[in-house]
Amino acid sequence: MQGGSSGIGYGLKYQARCISDVKADTDYTSFLTGTLSLKEENEVHLLRLSSGGSELICEGLFSHPNEIWDLASCPFDQRIFSTVFSTGESFGAAIWQIPELYGQLNSPQLERVASLDALVGKINCVLWWPSGRCDKLISMDEQNIFLWNLDCSKKSAEVISKDSAGMLHSLSGGAWNPHDVNAVAATGESSVQFWDLRTMKKVNSIEHAHVRGVDYNPKREHILITAEDESGIHVWDLRKAKVPVQELPGHTHWTWAVKCNPEYDGLILSAGTDSAVNLWYASASSSDEKPSQSPVESIRQRVNPLLNSYTDYEDSVYGLAWSSREPWVFASLSYDGRVVIESVKPFLPRI
Amino acid sequence: MATEAAPMDEKAKRMRDLLSSFYAPDPSISTSGSSISASFDNINSTSFDADQYMDLMIKKSNLEVLLQRHVQMAAEIKNLDTDLQMLVYENYNKFISATDTIKRMKSNIFGMEGNMDQLLQKIMSVQSRSDGVNTSLFEKREHIEKLHRTRNLLRKVQFIYDLPARLQKCIKSETYGDAVRFYIGAMPILKVYGDTSFQDCRRASEEAIEIIIKNLQTKLFSDSESIQARAEAAVLLKQLDVPVDSLKDKLLEKLEQSLDGLQIKPEEASLLAEQNDSSNDAESNEQHPAKIHEDAVRGFSEAMRAYREIFPDSEERLFKLARALTAMHFENMDLYIRKRVSAADFLRIFRIIWEDVVLMDEVLPEAELSDLSAEAAQVTVKKFVARTFSHLEQDISDTILKFDINQKEAVEEEVLKVVLEASKKAGLQGTTDIFQDFRQLLDENIGIFVKMKDLIIGWIQNGFQDFFRSLEAQFLVLSGKTSSSKEIEGGLVEGKSSDKIHAGLILVLAQLSVFVEQKVIPRVSEEIAASFSGGNSQAFENGPAFIPGELCRVFHAASEKLLQHYIDTRTQKISVLLRKRFKTPNWVKHKEPREVHMYVDMFLHELEEVGKEVKQVLPQGTFRKHKRTDSNGSNTTTSSRSNTLHNDKMTRSNSQRARSQLFETHLAKLFKQKVEIFTKVEFTQESVVTTTVKLCLKSLQEYVRLQTFNRSGFQQIQLDIQFLKAPLKETVEDEAAIDFLLDEVIVAASERCLDVIPLEPPILDKLIQAKLAKSKEHNNNNNTVSS
Repeated sequence: MQGGSSGIGYGLKYQARCISDVKADTDYTSFLTGTLSLKEENEVHLLRLSSGGSELICEGLFSHPNEIWDLASCPFDQRIFSTVFSTGESFGAAIWQIPELYGQLNSPQLERVASLDALVGKINCVLWWPSGRCDKLISMDEQNIFLWNLDCSKKSAEVISKDSAGMLHSLSGGAWNPHDVNAVAATGESSVQFWDLRTMKKVNSIEHAHVRGVDYNPKREHILITAEDESGIHVWDLRKAKVPVQELPGHTHWTWAVKCNPEYDGLILSAGTDSAVNLWYASASSSDEKPSQSPVESIRQRVNPLLNSYTDYEDSVYGLAWSSREPWVFASLSYDGRVVIESVKPFLPRI
Repeated sequence: MATEAAPMDEKAKRMRDLLSSFYAPDPSISTSGSSISASFDNINSTSFDADQYMDLMIKKSNLEVLLQRHVQMAAEIKNLDTDLQMLVYENYNKFISATDTIKRMKSNIFGMEGNMDQLLQKIMSVQSRSDGVNTSLFEKREHIEKLHRTRNLLRKVQFIYDLPARLQKCIKSETYGDAVRFYIGAMPILKVYGDTSFQDCRRASEEAIEIIIKNLQTKLFSDSESIQARAEAAVLLKQLDVPVDSLKDKLLEKLEQSLDGLQIKPEEASLLAEQNDSSNDAESNEQHPAKIHEDAVRGFSEAMRAYREIFPDSEERLFKLARALTAMHFENMDLYIRKRVSAADFLRIFRIIWEDVVLMDEVLPEAELSDLSAEAAQVTVKKFVARTFSHLEQDISDTILKFDINQKEAVEEEVLKVVLEASKKAGLQGTTDIFQDFRQLLDENIGIFVKMKDLIIGWIQNGFQDFFRSLEAQFLVLSGKTSSSKEIEGGLVEGKSSDKIHAGLILVLAQLSVFVEQKVIPRVSEEIAASFSGGNSQAFENGPAFIPGELCRVFHAASEKLLQHYIDTRTQKISVLLRKRFKTPNWVKHKEPREVHMYVDMFLHELEEVGKEVKQVLPQGTFRKHKRTDSNGSNTTTSSRSNTLHNDKMTRSNSQRARSQLFETHLAKLFKQKVEIFTKVEFTQESVVTTTVKLCLKSLQEYVRLQTFNRSGFQQIQLDIQFLKAPLKETVEDEAAIDFLLDEVIVAASERCLDVIPLEPPILDKLIQAKLAKSKEHNNNNNTVSS
């Protein structure tokens, strides 16, 4: 895998949108992914990168009752994960536990730990606190944001608090600030909004339309990255949220997802509907950059931030996840159900 | 004796030399043979040891050699003996002759003493006689001297008494020089005795002098007097101890005040320049301002010359004045060129200033006016060049913006084209004008311009480089692409308009960038090569001069960026439309499709607008054009056929899809050549429209994928897409890609559909026909209304 440019592939049976890094698995680099099929039996795949890093092994295959729109692995228990699913007409979200019987591939049933069924609208995502043990969960539907208290032993989840964003804002996704357990960012129709979970009130917002994906920079406080439909990727400094700190061209069509590398500061991965995954290096993502330069100069000085473009996909890429165990490895998932694991090691020396 | 000693010496020396050649007594010769064996050999050396020498000889040589040596030595010894004898004889001879000479000297010296005594006596008597004469004449001489002194004194007294009268006479005849001289001559006496004996005299002469001073002062101030006279007056006044400095100050102040009149005020400057032109023929009626100005300056410099001669110590102030005038000139020039000024006018004013400077420089060469003004001129010309460029930039952006405003008022068909053409013209014309202007600058043969030629060329080249750079930045700002940087620079520019920028304007800017890249820059570089080359390189250590390659690159990048920006803004608009369409209804509970949905019309309308704008601004793709007209020609037959064919395929494939669509699509994708959806945008009408359509269809697909449809919902999508097919194909060059994308939308919809049963083709057809008829009717209505 080292030096190899082509990644390791793995095919799901059906179309799929979401892939998640299993953060709690410290022994292996593993990913969870779930299929999106209206009519067929949906599956959750637990994939593990072989120790040599040359093979992607299906470690577990579990059937899931509905098509999966969002999937997130619990950061402190590798057997627990959350899904957002749809029956076609209604949406739901649940916390699942992978049964103990590892190795049996005959679609054992997942144990439902709890279902987050206070939701009314079209649910979008479930967020776990990004690092460490925190038994709180956030779920978002189009109008509301909920904070849940999860009790794994009792297999129950309770709503602690909720807030409504209002009809107009139709939330679509979000990210939990890794630097501040009380701050959550949510993407809406026309803005990125920030909640303080203690008061459950909106505290701030970036007015920027059509944001698809959002991610906090885990290495630097106040730095947020957004992916937009038409206008690419923006890097924001939340202390000065009027104007983006940096602008990356993004993709030919929409930029769907964007992820900061958990280890290497400034390394950004974006997935787009132009069937490509781009690796960026946003060198000057800090606020130190002087805006006084004339545009001509800054264009000339700035080196091309695009490190590489992975284009070996047949369809739009929606799923994207860095491995937290091997931070130079990422998994991408295109709509046709193909998981591709790539290493960015060849590009690291340039940083 | 001395005469004999010299030859004696010489002889002795010769003898000594001869002897020393045998004995070599002096060490300088002995050291030459320094080795031990040599010292043994060397008979001449001081350390010669005869026994040793003999031993050595006996050891080294055979008998024959010894014998030879013996004979040789005997001969040498004999020679030496005779030489010595000769020396002895010669010296003896000389000794005898010396004795003879001494004897003769002794006899000659007797009798000299008596003569000496006689001489002494005679000199003594001469001295006593002369003393006698001296004493007898002494008394008379004393007397004469006394008389003479008295006479001088009397004459002085007479002079003092005459002084007032004399002064009056001088006043009458205006020979103030003499008067002053007399007065000063009498001064010491008047000072000493003025209070006693000559009181009246003094008073009278002082009065006369008062008058003289007054006269001199008036003379000094009167401009009618000759400079010489005035200078003399000043000198005389100074001799009379009148405080001249205050006078000088007054005069110089007057001169300073006159400076104001000499200014070329920026308001008048244009007048000055213009009238210079027109008054060539109408010179008779009035003196034109330039002439007046020239006279004034001439007067000024004359005055300076005068004052310089009058008050040599006032040079510094005069220098200051002249420098001030020069500086003022250039300051005014600076103000003047703040407005838009043609090079000709600029040069005219410049020439006037230069003439002034030359005039003043003649008077005051030490003031280093030419250096000063050369520096100032450099600055001014540099500024002028820079201003000219900024004016040009302003012109171009004005042209663009001016039409933009008009566009909102009167929505004409070809506004974009007009804007484009106008700004193209503005660009070309502007650069041509600029070149003309600069050529004038270069052709100017005022000394200073000749000197600055290299510098000017450098500035022009640099100016162009900067100009194009900032033009590009300006384009980006106008397009709203770099609004953020503008906001930082200062919101006063026009921060508000970043959202409202008309998409067409962006397109115009894109095309304009191409134009600049392909036409203007090559032309400029040609011109520069032709007439502005050879700007000395040492002036630009910091930044390089004009680099067309780099500029071309910059503009190329800018044009691509702008074009992309245009497409982005356009697709964004359509994207919003599509988003609304897909977000609002509940697709799972969709009702049966009755007609083609409204958004299709809006979508097509937007595309039409894009098409219109593109047609005005961009060129047609030459290569693809043929193909397109061909296909248009046979449009009626082929398109209908392909439609039916396609419908067949649709029904068939749909039934298959009902079973396993995913497998089918995957298979299809495997075999189908991967259609390149996202190709590079070219600067042609077709390419831009195609790209826009492609991006929009891709967005459509993505929106569809996010929904879940029931049967009717799917059918609605099917209907809409089917309807879109024909008009899209008409507008777009890459039909395969469009087909592919449209199919993809339907596939996406079918994948996201709970119950895939497509509409029957006849129903589909009927609905489409209904829609077509309706839109035709709508169009007709519109036409009748408009006509």
